[in-house]
Amino acid sequence: MQEEKILSDEEIEILQEIMNISFGKSAADLADVIDTHVVLSVPFIRIMQVPELPTYFREHVKEYKTISIVEQKFWGRFKGDALLVFSSGAGRELINMLQHDTRPGFESDPIDILERETLMEVGNILIGACVGKLAELLRDVVTYTPPMVVVERDYSNAVTESRYDPDNTAIVLKTDFCFDEGDVSGFLFLITSNDSVTWMKEALRLFIEQYE
Amino acid sequence: MIRKILIVDDSPIARKMLKSCLPKDQGYEFFESGDGRDGFEKYKEITPDVTFMDLTMPIMTGYEAIEAIMGHDKNAVIIVVTADVQMKAIKRVMESGAYMVLKKPLKREDIQSALSRVKDTLQKV
Repeated sequence: MQEEKILSDEEIEILQEIMNISFGKSAADLADVIDTHVVLSVPFIRIMQVPELPTYFREHVKEYKTISIVEQKFWGRFKGDALLVFSSGAGRELINMLQHDTRPGFESDPIDILERETLMEVGNILIGACVGKLAELLRDVVTYTPPMVVVERDYSNAVTESRYDPDNTAIVLKTDFCFDEGDVSGFLFLITSNDSVTWMKEALRLFIEQYE
Repeated sequence: MIRKILIVDDSPIARKMLKSCLPKDQGYEFFESGDGRDGFEKYKEITPDVTFMDLTMPIMTGYEAIEAIMGHDKNAVIIVVTADVQMKAIKRVMESGAYMVLKKPLKREDIQSALSRVKDTLQKV
């Protein structure tokens, strides 16, 4: 019901295709750094009231039990919150995949710091490239906060509604992924609010107009 | 000569975007499909001159559909149109027999130059 009010079916389809292109770009950027192939899936758009977010989020990540999250806020005309959720143990798996890294001090860091840094670096690539491409396709430029990392937390209390305005409507862009090597999988959630909707509808119209 | 074009992509918007990039004055006959399995069935039914194929699709992926089509018709001309531009993805589809890979979002000039290349190839056959 909310979906009909805020974005039309066609606008949701356009946004879905733009998310597909944007996450494809971030996967390619990551594959340049780590010798892996990120297996992509069809992105999904869902519009909901903010208080519904934690339940929706838990439903998607419950299979992992513990999760690591890289979070970055972004703002331009397109503004919101990017949450990159990794499966349990992903941080250490990513360290193994990055073992060819020769930065001074990298190997001597304690494992928990290394894990945090690795998740932050991978998260920064995936979120930055995806949000940046999405903004570019919608003719916007965004700025980011530094990434924040939560390592191996119980999935059930990882996200609460208190961080978002409960009166707002959330537009959630979700894509899931896994790596073809190594036991790493996860989700990228981009959460934007109805503050961006007026601009977004016009940006989507301009995007598809090129193809009319 | 190109007459029949099959577009396989789960996104109706992506199919619309692709069609809009194709020349309107060439008398092409278009066929569309929303997943790899249906795309393969349509391929067998209509034998298109060119197939545009997405990779990330439900039911049957583009990778699987390319293998199925090439197994059925080794002369199939399949142009992959994808957001997945990782080197391993490109290598895999080219090894499966795809004709070429185009990156989303599409540009008219990319599509038109791809079709010119296909026409040259078909003339030589």
